[in-house]
Amino acid sequence: MGPYPPSSGSEIDGLLARVGYRIRPSDLRHVAHGLERLDSAMVGGDNRFGDSDAVHYNPSDLAAWVDSMLSESTSQAAAEPTLPLSDGAWMAQIIPQLNQQHHHQMAAIAARQRKEEEDSGIRLVHLLMGCADAVQRGDSRLAASLLDEMQVELTRMSTSFGIGKVAGYFVDALRRRLYSATDPYSSADSLVEYEILYHHFYEACPYLKFAHFTANQAILEAFDGYDRVHVIDFSLMQGLQWPALIQALALRPGGPPFLRITGIGPPSSNGRDELREIGIKLAELARSVHVRFAFRGVAATHLDDVRPWMLHVGRGEAIAVNSVLQLHRLLGDPGKQSAIDTVLNWVVDLRPKIVTVVEQEADHNKPGFLDRFTEALFYYSTVFDSLEAKSGLAQQTPTAEMYLQRELCNIVCCEGSDRVERHEPLANWRTRLGQSGLIPVHLGSNAFKQASMLLTLFSAEGYCVEEVDGCLLLGWHSRPLISASAWRAGDHADDYVAPDDITLVDRSSIANNNNNNENNFS
Amino acid sequence: MGTSFAAEEEHDKPHGYNISDNVDILAEIMSRLDGRSLGVAACVCRVWYAVCNRDSVWEALCDRHVSGGDAGPGTRSVVRALGGYRRLYRLCVGPVLDRLTGSTGPDRWTGARADSVEVRGNVSLSLSLSLFSIDCYERLSGGSLRPASLLFLSKPVDVS
Repeated sequence: MGPYPPSSGSEIDGLLARVGYRIRPSDLRHVAHGLERLDSAMVGGDNRFGDSDAVHYNPSDLAAWVDSMLSESTSQAAAEPTLPLSDGAWMAQIIPQLNQQHHHQMAAIAARQRKEEEDSGIRLVHLLMGCADAVQRGDSRLAASLLDEMQVELTRMSTSFGIGKVAGYFVDALRRRLYSATDPYSSADSLVEYEILYHHFYEACPYLKFAHFTANQAILEAFDGYDRVHVIDFSLMQGLQWPALIQALALRPGGPPFLRITGIGPPSSNGRDELREIGIKLAELARSVHVRFAFRGVAATHLDDVRPWMLHVGRGEAIAVNSVLQLHRLLGDPGKQSAIDTVLNWVVDLRPKIVTVVEQEADHNKPGFLDRFTEALFYYSTVFDSLEAKSGLAQQTPTAEMYLQRELCNIVCCEGSDRVERHEPLANWRTRLGQSGLIPVHLGSNAFKQASMLLTLFSAEGYCVEEVDGCLLLGWHSRPLISASAWRAGDHADDYVAPDDITLVDRSSIANNNNNNENNFS
Repeated sequence: MGTSFAAEEEHDKPHGYNISDNVDILAEIMSRLDGRSLGVAACVCRVWYAVCNRDSVWEALCDRHVSGGDAGPGTRSVVRALGGYRRLYRLCVGPVLDRLTGSTGPDRWTGARADSVEVRGNVSLSLSLSLFSIDCYERLSGGSLRPASLLFLSKPVDVS
């Protein structure tokens, strides 16, 4: 099939000629149809175009090019064995071809739908960025109109998974920021809710388990050789981290030490003393495995309300300070003075044998709203992605997602002292902790091996652990999401001396001391 | 495996020897079985059920598949305190081994398949015990914290 004669009477379309295509206006409709058929033939999945030897046609003769590509595909279809011998065989030949064509059409439709959803997703991300930018500049009218547009866009796609779901959460958060000034999750009821959500998040994905197991390994290694050990937990929650440590200490060669745990947590609102109840449970576990144990609960709404004297640190104890996702709450806007320095100072003064720090690996404390928003969008998309991949869509984890949604909301909606989710990357923490006088401790290969083993147990394959300068990072598809590091106080001649000596507690009873600061009940 | 025992019984009947009369030998044999076979054997009769529920049988099974750390008397008392070897296998070691060897679904219960796929692979003792202690701790609450932290180890049930 040769090219069309250059110009047999009709002119060549001027506009298309300027971009390099020579085609007559009268041929345009034919070419358009041809392109459509070409599109569906290519998308149909059969890689016919790779089969033949490469023959190059000049695409500037658009009509000719389309015709020759189409004839190539149809001639290949025709080249399939068509030597029917009988009616039955002929039917058997035709029907698979018809099915194949139908299959191609379905595949083309599916591909088009996927592409539409992808386009919708990309549009949504652009709208989100635009809205965040408008919010940063203070243009609330534009932000509101973009919000409405995004709402419409969300109706066009599935919000039960993927980009639709994440975008939905961010759109909600932006709406809250524009229309209601307060943090929706600061009430007392939400604290109880928070503990439940935390438990679901603990079960649904490995991040918290990784945090606990890695920290426990570091603490176990640091406690080697000491007979009296004291763990200070910055956020007791339900005490899920400690059974494993108690068990590991029970099996320690040489016998278990005398273990004290001081758990810091918010004061309970409903009259129950939750810290004490957790302490009782831990004590029962410790008793069953014959580990001498004592527990003290310290109730404080904010970590910076805690004073060292409340912890009743004893002479000669090996101290471990454990902070899982707590230190970032002490930060303020970058550059300004904040509570973190005070807290780190008294931590260092305790002369701890080990300080385990687990933090989110993200920069959500940038001063500019748009920067923060963008970072959060990518970070939480990755986390939600990892939640989804677990056992596919058959096991949705809505409560675990609500846990993340709270964090996300705090980052987007709140400012000033309301914003507590001030995540910072490991590099920043390293500098800060180093400056406060703590010395880094390399998490050994045991911790790495344990983390890798833990990950093999989770059904989703995409989690990865890596070791960077003695710290462990757990991530999803090579994006690190959570970091675990260990530190210790520098070597000094004199250890911390408590004002009064602490009396040993009988292993069947627990010591409990509630220190409620009245000015926190605002 | 149950059928071969029965066949032996039939064959030996004229001599008057019944394996169920000698539970210690039975326990020795059971302690060499894998988890699935133990479960099947426990369904045979009351005597076998009692023998298969001995924690020492499950201890032998766990010791075969668990590596790292010494499985000495200290470990035994800790495991007993936390709920016993049978529970340890059911909750931690068994599902982990399944995960490691990639066995899935209804095939698990076919005796033939259990024989041909030899369960290889080792589970770390410290990891299993850590997970086990968390489970024990959750059960202590008596209801407020439903024991669910180990759910991630079991396969999702397909109810389609």
